[in-house]
Amino acid sequence: MAGVVLENLSWKKLIILGVFLLLLLLTFFLIGGLIAPAPSNVIYITGTKCIANRTHLDHDKWFIPRGHNEMCDQIWSFDDERVEKEIITASQIVFSFWIPHPKEGGQLKMYRWFQTLLGVLTLDIKYDPKNPVTDKAKLQLDARIGYRGADDDPKDWKLLAQSLEERQLDCAMDEAIEGYHYKCDILQLFELGSVHYDYYLVNIRLPTFDNSDVNAGIGVLEDLHLVVIHQNGGFTKVWLSMKTVLFPMILALLIWYWRRITQLERPPSLLEKTLFVLGIALSLLNLPMEWLTCWLYLPFMLLVGDIRQGIFYAVLLSFWLIFAGEHLMDQVERNKLVMYWKHLSAVGFGCLCLFIFEICERGIQLTDPFFSVWVTDVGANLALTFIVLAGVAACSYFLFLCYMIFKVFRNISAKKSALPQMSKARKKYYMGLIYRFRFLMALTLVCAALTVIFFIISQVSEGQWKWGDDGIHLEYTSAFFTGVYGMWNVYVFGLLCLYAPSHKVITVTEDTDQSQEETVQLTHIPSEASALASDSQPMETSALHPSEGSILQGFMSKQAAD
Amino acid sequence: MALGTRWRETLLILVSLHVFVATALDMWWNLGIAGRGRSLYFLGAQSMCTQLKGLSVGQIKLCHMFHDHMPSVGRGAQMGIVECQFQFRFRRWNCSTVDGDRSVFGPIIEIASREAAFTHAVSAAGVVHAISRSCREGELSRCGCSNDPRPGNLDRDWIWGGCGDNIAWGYKFAKSFVDVREKDKNHPRHSPELGRMLMNLHNNEGGRKAVYHYSNVACKCHGVSGSCSLKTCWQQLPAFREVGDRLKDRYDGAFEVKFNKRGTKLVRKHKRYNKPTKEDLIYIHESPDYCKTNPETGSLGTVGRECNRNTHGMDGCNLMCCGRGYNTFKKKIVMRCHCKFHWCCFVKCKTCEKIVDVHTCK
Repeated sequence: MAGVVLENLSWKKLIILGVFLLLLLLTFFLIGGLIAPAPSNVIYITGTKCIANRTHLDHDKWFIPRGHNEMCDQIWSFDDERVEKEIITASQIVFSFWIPHPKEGGQLKMYRWFQTLLGVLTLDIKYDPKNPVTDKAKLQLDARIGYRGADDDPKDWKLLAQSLEERQLDCAMDEAIEGYHYKCDILQLFELGSVHYDYYLVNIRLPTFDNSDVNAGIGVLEDLHLVVIHQNGGFTKVWLSMKTVLFPMILALLIWYWRRITQLERPPSLLEKTLFVLGIALSLLNLPMEWLTCWLYLPFMLLVGDIRQGIFYAVLLSFWLIFAGEHLMDQVERNKLVMYWKHLSAVGFGCLCLFIFEICERGIQLTDPFFSVWVTDVGANLALTFIVLAGVAACSYFLFLCYMIFKVFRNISAKKSALPQMSKARKKYYMGLIYRFRFLMALTLVCAALTVIFFIISQVSEGQWKWGDDGIHLEYTSAFFTGVYGMWNVYVFGLLCLYAPSHKVITVTEDTDQSQEETVQLTHIPSEASALASDSQPMETSALHPSEGSILQGFMSKQAAD
Repeated sequence: MALGTRWRETLLILVSLHVFVATALDMWWNLGIAGRGRSLYFLGAQSMCTQLKGLSVGQIKLCHMFHDHMPSVGRGAQMGIVECQFQFRFRRWNCSTVDGDRSVFGPIIEIASREAAFTHAVSAAGVVHAISRSCREGELSRCGCSNDPRPGNLDRDWIWGGCGDNIAWGYKFAKSFVDVREKDKNHPRHSPELGRMLMNLHNNEGGRKAVYHYSNVACKCHGVSGSCSLKTCWQQLPAFREVGDRLKDRYDGAFEVKFNKRGTKLVRKHKRYNKPTKEDLIYIHESPDYCKTNPETGSLGTVGRECNRNTHGMDGCNLMCCGRGYNTFKKKIVMRCHCKFHWCCFVKCKTCEKIVDVHTCK
């Protein structure tokens, strides 16, 4: 890559740009920390115990926990005397959950801003020595989800999904004492990629049969709680506004960048193309297509969002590789994607693994919200395999990257010692390369470090429960999300600005043409080559780069001929 | 309109009770026996506050402000009473309630004993438990979301974000509601009233801490592809039996305290023990003799209580009957046996008959 804006920018302008980007970054953090609420919220609903008809069990009926006429026949607890009197059996019990619950005397409504709905079950299983939880007990759930608009008839619930699911119970107890609750792992129930309707109704039965093991050995169930996690509407609003502002900004910059490249006389280099692709991937991520969910029913938005994020990270990782490769300064002609196939295949393979996993989990959830690969043993093993493979790919990627960066630094130190002897043009060329590389390294490291730090802070602050929040209340998790998202935007923004080809190309020697490079080296400064050879001998003799070696050989033969 | 008539009936009963009884020790625990089960909903009406028995002046004020919290307070008080009776079922003092007594447990509670300490703690714990649960269920108007420092009800609480914590609210409300009763009056230094007040405050706090310090946090990861880049946590209330057991342990290790020299604070009586923490229970006087009926202390005695001949524990006949001996008679019990259990509800069993010896104290 020839001269870029970064090299030709005065310190003053660079500082102004840096301060501007830093302020932008700070704004993103503060937006998340002060304006946005926590990214997600929990609705905790304890199941209402409705009673179905004993003979035909009302399998197609909706059991509604509240309402004047439509309220189901219910009992407060299983100790109710009605249970014995009316011989109510376990198969008759329907746990009913109306999402969301009432508040301040009125029924709340779900908002389309909530984006996603994730339902998990927690169980209150009482220890009873006569009826304990057996090893590897399985819970069979006959679950249905219905929906209804606020203005619809109160009885008019429509079916969204229905399934007979099995979940592995994982319950433990420190000390078996009668009356205590088991500590049971939460069970995933469903995941919806879109919150399009006002109300949701979940009906769950735990069927039992006299002559089968279904739902035997699950202990004494006292209560079933449905914990519904949704994205906060306020957070979605802030998030979408951010995207809406960032999208045109990055897009405009991208257009400016591409025009710069097309104005060049030479075809664009690989690095320039990669940077452009990175910009496109970011714009794709920024594209605020979630606005559509305000009007349309788009359950695939969750999947699309994940894929967009995956694409961005894949391109970012590839960009780092190619950037390091293009700054190796070992005179090997790369500039072609094929040269990086080994390194990039690690990225590609890892992404493919995650993509397959994603399609299996969230793709299938589009048709069956109750599905999860984790609930069956085969599925869990398969999913784990893909994740481990992706992990291996990530590890090999980082090894590749670290090795390349190490090589770049070794070459830099070699080149640096040779710098004083170089011609002005060559010196400028190498110094530019070194400067560019160091600048990006520093920027990337800062961004990566900040990501990790904020991730840790948000995780720690999530785990702690603060009592009585006085003073300024910072929402760490939101700040983490908006901040990190903003940071990578700022990062790409900075790269597009600073690594765009500069107009101020004057010097002749900044041509990347290799043969010309060699002639420059051979004709102008014979002393430099020998200095280079002697300086870098101890560490470079073994790993002498073929091109450099050939230069030396050429130089020797030329001298001999002379 | 079945609910309406029931409502009116209970109201009548309550009002008549209010006129009828007047003892020195009014306790809000009455809410726990006033209405059992679902009829507690009548407590939700604002006008009820002045007619409820057992509330102090400060509590009536709070009742007006948070009248929708009252069913939960009642449920909490009830949970406390039930748990107390479970924990002490094999003891000489078995936490029995005295009908028509406004302090619920009878005059015995007026003695600043370990037992009084336990009843205060367990009922305060019940309120935290019940309020937190109702708060989580969205039954209360002012908890969690609405308690937000952000400008009032802005866009429906910023579309539900920034919701507070349910157990924190339960703790906060229980603290003001339960403790306000003790703070109604000022007492002179060294006075037994001050001692009792300080003791109650300490034990109430111990009860509340027994709930909220031991709540479990459960989390679910739901970031990109279900990764933990986004994790949401919520709190799960412990089973109330666990709370009761914890308080029973504290009861067994309760600290005896006395006034400090200035007569303003309570300090441990025996210096060789550690200082009581906020979670510990404290008492001022030794427990009275629960063996014999004593109208002065209010002890009901253990005459007629069932005991177990084969153990040497507190429920053993020797200790329970205080050495008075016991009567034994045979009793035929119809039992359910060979049951096929399901996870709930009606159980198919056979009936077996068994003749057992029953021992009751003389």
